[in-house]
Amino acid sequence: MKGLVSGIKRMEIHDGDGLRTTVFLKGCPLKCLWCHNPESISFEKQIGFYENKCMHCGICGGIKNEKTAETCPAEAIVLYGKEYTTDELLDIIMQDENFFKNSGGGVTFSGGECLMQTDFVTELATKLTKNGISIYIDTCGFVKYEVFERIIPYTDKFLYDIKAIDSDVHKKCTGQDNKLILDNLKRLSENDCKIEIRYPLVKGYNDGECDKIGAFLSNLKGITKIKVLQYHSYAASRYKALNMENTLPDTETTFSDIENAVRTLKSYGLNAVNGMADD
Amino acid sequence: MSLTNEEILQYAEKYIETNGEADVSDADCDTIEYLLENCEITIPTGNRFFVNVNCKNIRSHIINKRGRKYHDEIKNSPLGAGIANRTYTGFYDFGHTTTEWNSVIPLGISGLKKRITEYADKNKADEKKQKFYSQLIRVYDASLKFIKRSADIAKSQGKYEMAEGLFNLSENAPSNLFEAMQTSIIYYTLQQFFDGTILRTLGRLDSLFYPFFIREDEKTAEKLMLDFLKEIDSWNVQSNIPFAIGGTDQKGNCLINKLSYTILDVYEKAQTSNVKIHLLCSDNMPSDFIEKAFISVRNGNNSIVFMSDKKIIESLEKLGEEKEDAVDYHVVGCYECGGNGEITCSCNGKLNIPKALEYALNGGRDMITNELIGLENSGIFNTFEDLYCEFERQLVHLCNCVMKVTDLHEMHYGKIHFAPIISGTYTSALENGRDIYCDYGAKYNDSSVNGLGIATAVDSLAAIRKAVFEDKILTLDEFVEILKSNWNGKEPLRLLIKNKFPKFGIGDEKTDAIAKSIVDTLSDAISGKPNVKGGKYRLGMFSINWRWEFGARTAASADGRLSGEPISQNTGASFGADKEGATAHLISATTIDASKTPNGAIVDLDLHSSAVRGKNGLNTLVSTLKTYFDMGGFAIHYNILDTEVLKDAKINPEKYPNLQVRLCGWNVLFSSLSEKEKDEFIMRSMR
Repeated sequence: MKGLVSGIKRMEIHDGDGLRTTVFLKGCPLKCLWCHNPESISFEKQIGFYENKCMHCGICGGIKNEKTAETCPAEAIVLYGKEYTTDELLDIIMQDENFFKNSGGGVTFSGGECLMQTDFVTELATKLTKNGISIYIDTCGFVKYEVFERIIPYTDKFLYDIKAIDSDVHKKCTGQDNKLILDNLKRLSENDCKIEIRYPLVKGYNDGECDKIGAFLSNLKGITKIKVLQYHSYAASRYKALNMENTLPDTETTFSDIENAVRTLKSYGLNAVNGMADD
Repeated sequence: MSLTNEEILQYAEKYIETNGEADVSDADCDTIEYLLENCEITIPTGNRFFVNVNCKNIRSHIINKRGRKYHDEIKNSPLGAGIANRTYTGFYDFGHTTTEWNSVIPLGISGLKKRITEYADKNKADEKKQKFYSQLIRVYDASLKFIKRSADIAKSQGKYEMAEGLFNLSENAPSNLFEAMQTSIIYYTLQQFFDGTILRTLGRLDSLFYPFFIREDEKTAEKLMLDFLKEIDSWNVQSNIPFAIGGTDQKGNCLINKLSYTILDVYEKAQTSNVKIHLLCSDNMPSDFIEKAFISVRNGNNSIVFMSDKKIIESLEKLGEEKEDAVDYHVVGCYECGGNGEITCSCNGKLNIPKALEYALNGGRDMITNELIGLENSGIFNTFEDLYCEFERQLVHLCNCVMKVTDLHEMHYGKIHFAPIISGTYTSALENGRDIYCDYGAKYNDSSVNGLGIATAVDSLAAIRKAVFEDKILTLDEFVEILKSNWNGKEPLRLLIKNKFPKFGIGDEKTDAIAKSIVDTLSDAISGKPNVKGGKYRLGMFSINWRWEFGARTAASADGRLSGEPISQNTGASFGADKEGATAHLISATTIDASKTPNGAIVDLDLHSSAVRGKNGLNTLVSTLKTYFDMGGFAIHYNILDTEVLKDAKINPEKYPNLQVRLCGWNVLFSSLSEKEKDEFIMRSMR
């Protein structure tokens, strides 16, 4: 079986415990305004063009496609989305097996929404589990619960995004209602899953949700941590290269904004940490 | 009345030729004795332990002038062209030694002298040995008088603590931690400035000082250690002053003790820029100790080289050293190891590996000057394997050249350098009754060759394999013409290869196999081969900052490197080629069999400060180290770089007076780098 992958990052330390290989799967049901992986939103392969890198060598003949992405010497034309079989990915992941074992790390499936490629992720997860590799699922939660049921047996921890509790705020920020997301989270919690919550703090957009998130999570079990993440606009050049409308909010999250949110969340008895600092 | 610098120099000049003495040993004894008696002694205000002397470069001045004569002869020989275009160089090495600290610290200078006398008494019948012992006794007597003279001056200047210690040490072994530290510094001064043999480690300080340390209260010991580190830091020696901590004993027990922890604590506080630590890591080293070392590295005190105890021992045993000597190894200079009783001469020969490919591709000729330096060939290669065989043939030829050049230098030690102070500490030299330099008196009198630019060579071979023999983008002849023209008009092809072709450092098995094969070939051609001193050659794989000088004379290479650009650093990937991150980089690096590189193989790991932050960041550092050593790595050091800080430091150096980066084998202040080097570090930090 093949999956469509937008990127693989080895020795990642920000996507869970230990040293991890993060596999970014392409395609996402949400459309978050602040998305920092715009190349992972579409379910199709995409070609990005970085004009500033182009040396006008003429090798592409002005055509930007999968083939010219391969031969563009300046890396101005870039293909986002490469097909891998589960065995191909397994080979890449297993290269770092010794590092995983010594660091308590493993694999994190991210995206996009990795669970949208359910069959692929489940098949690969089965193989990884046989090899003793720890699996974390980084998810926005916007999939049917049956999908979770399939992946739970292989998952050591869910990295679960909560962007807002208020339905209107959520719709405004992500394009979708959050009922499914919150229901799924409750059910995962009831099913004794280990869950680390990710709360991307975007000032002026969802910073007003902090107390509500705290209150909601304080009733759930299995929440190992809530990490408040900084918003940044580094992805702007990728939106441009992909010819996508840049929806990145013109705002900034400071260290102290995050500290404030952490303090609020802690007041609900949660293990809140600042994503910009020590964890 | 002490002599001025000018008078000392005038005196030394007389002894460049042996001044009518029968041989160099008599002449050198005269000089050393004279300097010990007459040099000017001063005491810098901050010094707690020992004095300063004004004859620091005199002995090396004599040695260099004597050696230069033979070196010039070799440069004018048929081997000279290869030296001039930096295919290889060979030289004397008086710069990478240790003493037998295990004798020096417990015995002190007076005890060393007594031991020499005992050997003299035991060997009365042997005239040649008697001459050697009497020369040593003469120099050690003069050394003890020099210590006494230093004590008098210290006393006259109100430095009573220093004076008291020195008075005692002029007659006895050290009696406490303070005097043990004084002994370390006194001996350093004696060997470095009077013997003229450069001392490149203070030994395993935690083990050496431990018997004294346990008799002090904690606070006193800490303060002593702090002052000790500050005093050695103030010497401002080129390439730093190293010492080691850790290692294992003969039974395999880890030697980390309470003092090891104190040393790290103090090192963190001392904020030094010239002190360097070789951390000898064994599998049974306490994990909190490694974490402590990494916390220091992460905080910017990054002058710590992490070295694999088991790999070092394995490599020395493979070279034929006795297990006991291999376990009690030393590390000198950057990361070069030698067994107990070994003179390593770790920086004799340097071999530019990419040049072997240049000659394979160009009929044995330099692509820039067209001189014939390699071996002639037909230039016709039908397969990659044919080309690789020719590359190996050229490489082995160059190995023979570099060892020949080294031999031609080292055969003259007897006419260049008598080293009574260091020889007086080597048990083997005393047993043999022979000087370790003049007369090759150590147990192991070895020489070294370092292979430079391995990743440049591997990436170039891999590029030719893909472009010419697999993808058939161009013919080999066309490729050679492109390289000769320095990629003129071929920028797209150059970037395609540089950006998109497989490289050493991404964990690609097929490419990494070339690196393994090159090191195997170098090891077969070099390690264990006899030198002119009755010892063996040893292979090392580091290129430190030589890569700029050697790269400057190396033509464009098939990996996309332009003519004159530096070749790759040490045993790691070319800068920018490790695109898959540190784990892949280390996987590639460990495909090399480091048991074949007793002279050192090192990877420089650049990590962004955000990747080592927090508990998980610390875990990253500890687990990469453990995994690297589990997989067979030899040594590693870390650069924790922050792009914004480096960029700002380039524009506003005054804001960052103590910002250090690891240049290669040692630390430098960022502000002291050239603009090009600063830019390279900024680029490295951005990946």
